[in-house]
Amino acid sequence: MPIIHLPYTYLEELTGTDRDTIIERLPMIGADIERFEDNQTDVEFFPDRPDLFSTEGVARAMRGFLGIETGCPAYTVKPSGVTFSIDPKLEGIRPFLGSAVIRNVSLNNERIETLMGLQEALHWAVGRGRGKVAIGVHDMDTVTAPFSYIASPRDRSFIPLDFEEEMTLDEIMQRHPKGIDYAHIVDGFDLMPLIADAKDNVLSFPPIINGELTTVTEDTKNILLDCTGTDERAVMTAVNIICTALAEAGATIESVEVNGAPMPSLAPRTRRVSVDECVRLLGIDLDAGTMAALLAKMRIGADPAGEGFLDVTIPCYRADIMHDWDVFEDVAIAYGFDNFNAELPASFTIGSEHPVNVMAGAVRRIVAGLGFVEMMPFTLTSERVLFGNMQREPAKGALRVMHPISEEQTTVRTDILPLLMETLQINHHRELPQRIFATGDVVEGRETFQKIAAVSIHTDADFSEIYATADALLRELGLAYTVEESTDPAFIDGRRGDIIVDGKKVGVFGEISPAVILNFELDQPVAALELDLRVLWT
Amino acid sequence: MEELTYNEKRLMVVLNTVSEAEPAVIAGELNTTEEAVVQFAHLCADKGIATLERTVRVDYGLTDEGKQYSTLGLPERQVYASFEGEIPMKDLQAHPLARIAVGWMKKKGWIAIEKGMVKKTGDAPEGDDERALRDPAAGGDGINELIRRGLIEERESVSYRIAITPQGKQLVADGLDLREEVGALTREQIISGAWKDLNLRRYSVGKLPKKVWPGKVHPYQHLIDEMRQILLEMGFEEMQGSIIQSSFWNFDALFQPQDHPAREMQDTFFLAEEADLPDGWEAVRDVHEHGGTTSSAGWGGVWNQDKARQNVLRTHTTGLSIQHLTKNPEPPVKAFCIGRVYRREAIDPTHTPEFEQLEGIVMDDGVSFRHLMGFLKEFYARMGFENVRFRPGYFPYTEPSVEPEVWVDGLGWVELGGAGIFREEVTAPWGISTPVLAWGLGVSRVAMLRMGLSDLRQLYRSDIDWIKEYPAYTGGRN
Repeated sequence: MPIIHLPYTYLEELTGTDRDTIIERLPMIGADIERFEDNQTDVEFFPDRPDLFSTEGVARAMRGFLGIETGCPAYTVKPSGVTFSIDPKLEGIRPFLGSAVIRNVSLNNERIETLMGLQEALHWAVGRGRGKVAIGVHDMDTVTAPFSYIASPRDRSFIPLDFEEEMTLDEIMQRHPKGIDYAHIVDGFDLMPLIADAKDNVLSFPPIINGELTTVTEDTKNILLDCTGTDERAVMTAVNIICTALAEAGATIESVEVNGAPMPSLAPRTRRVSVDECVRLLGIDLDAGTMAALLAKMRIGADPAGEGFLDVTIPCYRADIMHDWDVFEDVAIAYGFDNFNAELPASFTIGSEHPVNVMAGAVRRIVAGLGFVEMMPFTLTSERVLFGNMQREPAKGALRVMHPISEEQTTVRTDILPLLMETLQINHHRELPQRIFATGDVVEGRETFQKIAAVSIHTDADFSEIYATADALLRELGLAYTVEESTDPAFIDGRRGDIIVDGKKVGVFGEISPAVILNFELDQPVAALELDLRVLWT
Repeated sequence: MEELTYNEKRLMVVLNTVSEAEPAVIAGELNTTEEAVVQFAHLCADKGIATLERTVRVDYGLTDEGKQYSTLGLPERQVYASFEGEIPMKDLQAHPLARIAVGWMKKKGWIAIEKGMVKKTGDAPEGDDERALRDPAAGGDGINELIRRGLIEERESVSYRIAITPQGKQLVADGLDLREEVGALTREQIISGAWKDLNLRRYSVGKLPKKVWPGKVHPYQHLIDEMRQILLEMGFEEMQGSIIQSSFWNFDALFQPQDHPAREMQDTFFLAEEADLPDGWEAVRDVHEHGGTTSSAGWGGVWNQDKARQNVLRTHTTGLSIQHLTKNPEPPVKAFCIGRVYRREAIDPTHTPEFEQLEGIVMDDGVSFRHLMGFLKEFYARMGFENVRFRPGYFPYTEPSVEPEVWVDGLGWVELGGAGIFREEVTAPWGISTPVLAWGLGVSRVAMLRMGLSDLRQLYRSDIDWIKEYPAYTGGRN
């Protein structure tokens, strides 16, 4: 999650109260305070609240929460007369454009950094790494309206930000740091999205890089905003959040006509919600008036709509509110989570263990009682450990993950015994004898089921010891079994047995082959058993 | 004072008559070895009833080789005596000791060698070494030379004197039980009644036993079982399910948008195999696209069936919860699960690609956010976390959401899990209109707090000594 910097002085100025009051209550609207610096505090907010990714947005929320200024904030938008056209060829490439003119901004280095920080946080949370939405801000006085959003050939060139010479779009994608990072979003298309002005100056090559020409500086007075993307709702969310944040900072917002339609309106949305439903969901006593007052603290307007309903007015920057319950959560936050009377409900239920865990508990008691120490190894392992080191053929149903993070974790275990051998390897330097076991999930094909494995390593570990252990385990599990000579290559010929229950092989035991012992970098005799616990379900 | 052993008592009785003696004398009396007497005397000395004086003396003795020469003379003397005047070296070498002797004779100046002839230089007076060889006990200047030649060795001889103290005298005067000590109790002694008169050897309780290690359940499993026990006591039914889940159950059914970062291959382990969609999937599609039958706007866009079919290693157990609810739609339902979940993370001290998650759900008429907090408080209190506070949280599938924090001395408020009420977008597609409270908890986080672990890997790649030493009972819950 992005870290939001909140400079104390600016935060106090915008909120209208002192920093201590703000910081004390900040966690209760969902901020995770990361650290305190001399001049600022750094916080994190959840990704569903990108409207809090700026000092202006936090101050707006805190004014409400602290009762300094409540209700749905109103933003006025005047027409700018600026127009924007969208090239129909962008359909299928990057069809949506949101724009606005932001006048009379007062910028200093700190404010520019804040704005860039907001932009980056929005790229992450709303823009999904710029694929869904990419944002550009431009010094409007360097270019001439009207503007056009076009699908351009890849050999078109302009001077990208932070460079001094003209580069073609192809060159930018190959050489510019941002090009290298984001080319994958548009690289599959013949034509590239481009924003140009009336004189054919390039403002931006979204979603990759702005032009050097329109760089925002401390002298910038008027800003042209462009948000392009593949999702109209997300594009407008970004426009609304940036415009309202800059409006909070004192700028004037003006609309742009995009293909003839003016935007943004910055108008709130409305929704009719039931007071009773809110009461039931939260479990607190509320009437319409109290609920409206609580919502006002969250900067949501609320008017009685007769018979237990409220018409709520949701600011345009609150993209997270998509359902009535999202409104009710704001009621709960304003009410204060610490003011809830936490209580258990009266209804009666009976608890019960899952049979798999009843079985696992019994297996643990039996095998621990036989002197073995339990281990809980990973379930994600490698084919080398599972099959190669064990001299076994790979199991047909073994599942490989598609993008393993390392060679050590490529495959879901089909057996537990190899993991115990690996555990012995980890404990190579520890005192002998070592007797360890593990029980748990294994996967073959689509089936998750359970196995138990046990190993014993010491100078006298042998067939007789593990046969006696297997015999005790099976006896305690109430299983009648027979043993046949096994052909399992992990074990020594003539010192291995298959456990047969009802004519079916359900397990194996014996002395581990010296080659396998060496594969796990061990040097003492090892006796081992493994049992498929599905035998208990039939 | 600690009770005396039988042997110590016998020693004291002898000492009482002789007052002071060497071990050899007492050994004769007690019919045992000198070493044993010294050992008993040590124990008596520790108790202040006897004294043991140790004297170390160094003397010289002949080695086996030295003994051979002590009568016949050193090799050089023997060879020197074997010829007169001069002799060809080749003849001299026929003497069995010539190899040792020639060098020494030259070194001592007894002979000179010229053109293969060995000539005596004059008299060969007896040296210090030869005198020392005759009488090593007399010491003298030749001793060190003979030690270097391996003919004489230094021998330490330790001698003891044992004496009784006034306390010892008093002890004996007060009377001692001198019945013979018995080591092992036998069946015959038990049955015959002989045990009543036996003087069973006393053990020193101060001496620690040899360590034995029981077979045992893993400490982490104990913690998991403790949590299971708490939830069972609170009336929850246990769920269990496959670690392979379709994206449909793992994400889509939980209203996680299809472009959510958690659904990218950087964060989740995908499998090549695909799953079939369950009956009723269309309602999930609708809720994603436009909110379906709910007041939700949905995520918009087109919901992609293929994306939902992709199998993953479950990233949480919440997918099991919603499946459990679809099979048990009648309230009340209280269910929980503790199971492995998978995230595509590299292994380091605080991250493992698999770990345990606890998940609890309550579906019941009339339950609310307030009751969710009630369940959380109760659960954490039973886990030993008395002080719980709630902060706003965010999870894609719950609304309202809450992050419980518990107070841990030394750490402050520690975020421990997440909770909320299942969004209507999650429950409505399955016709569930009763509210569902849900919470989850990283069990390994609790393990780190409770077991004082700094490295998560200890849970899964355990040092066997750590498990052996970790007590099976740690006081349990408060």
